[in-house]
Amino acid sequence: MHTGMIVDDASIMRLRLREILETEFKIVAEAENGGDALRLYDESRPEFITLDITMPKVNGLAALQELLAKDPAAKVVIVSAVGQKQIVFDAISMGAKDFIIKPFEHERVLKSVRRLFA
Amino acid sequence: MNVEFANIFIRSAVEVFQKEVRITLSRQSLLKKNAPVPGLPVSIVLGITGYLRGQVVYSMDENFAYSIAHAMLPNKLPAEIKKLTNSAVSEIANIITGQASIALAGEKMKIELTPPAVFSGKEMQVDFLSIPTIALRLISEIGVLEINIALAESEEA
Repeated sequence: MHTGMIVDDASIMRLRLREILETEFKIVAEAENGGDALRLYDESRPEFITLDITMPKVNGLAALQELLAKDPAAKVVIVSAVGQKQIVFDAISMGAKDFIIKPFEHERVLKSVRRLFA
Repeated sequence: MNVEFANIFIRSAVEVFQKEVRITLSRQSLLKKNAPVPGLPVSIVLGITGYLRGQVVYSMDENFAYSIAHAMLPNKLPAEIKKLTNSAVSEIANIITGQASIALAGEKMKIELTPPAVFSGKEMQVDFLSIPTIALRLISEIGVLEINIALAESEEA
């Protein structure tokens, strides 16, 4: 089973993403900001990450950049409400594999993560 | 203050409530104020920077807040729902503002949101910006949602 990490500052969103993803994947870590995400990525080495953008301390785009500098093969799916054209463009140019705009359907999340391992 | 901002927030709030809370919101009133000071006991404040700057302040009563969390967590026990209520209302505010930001930013601009902060009752000590504000009231079967929109174009934009 592929392993993942959920990064979102809202505990309710981490809970919901965990419930959706754990039907097919194993969640090995959760983080509530970009700084914790970077630290936990080294500790638990998840095979994929769902990453929110609007978060305290280190935001998602800054974390994405640092994460991919450390590990260019990291598989990151952005899950964020701020799906502005320019921000989606920035995230995908930096190396995010997909951009899911909240509110999302469960199947949209599962499809996106499945595609990372297809 | 551009009145089109109000329409964008109404559309976004109605859509997000339909999807996440499964409740229909309808427009009750719209008034102009000098600052986004909320009128109901539970408030969620988001800061906006980038091409637009200012604050968006959501406000509701405690039952409304609990109903949002209950709808987002249909299989949880009341104690757990209570514990997650602040997180639920923050996330709803974040999603409505995020959705609205897509229309506000259009093709070329960028708008950044700060993480939402929740305040209840008398503990509220927030510095609200003095920016011309549109206060929207949307009504539903679970009560009233107030959205105070205090946005101006940035000087550098």
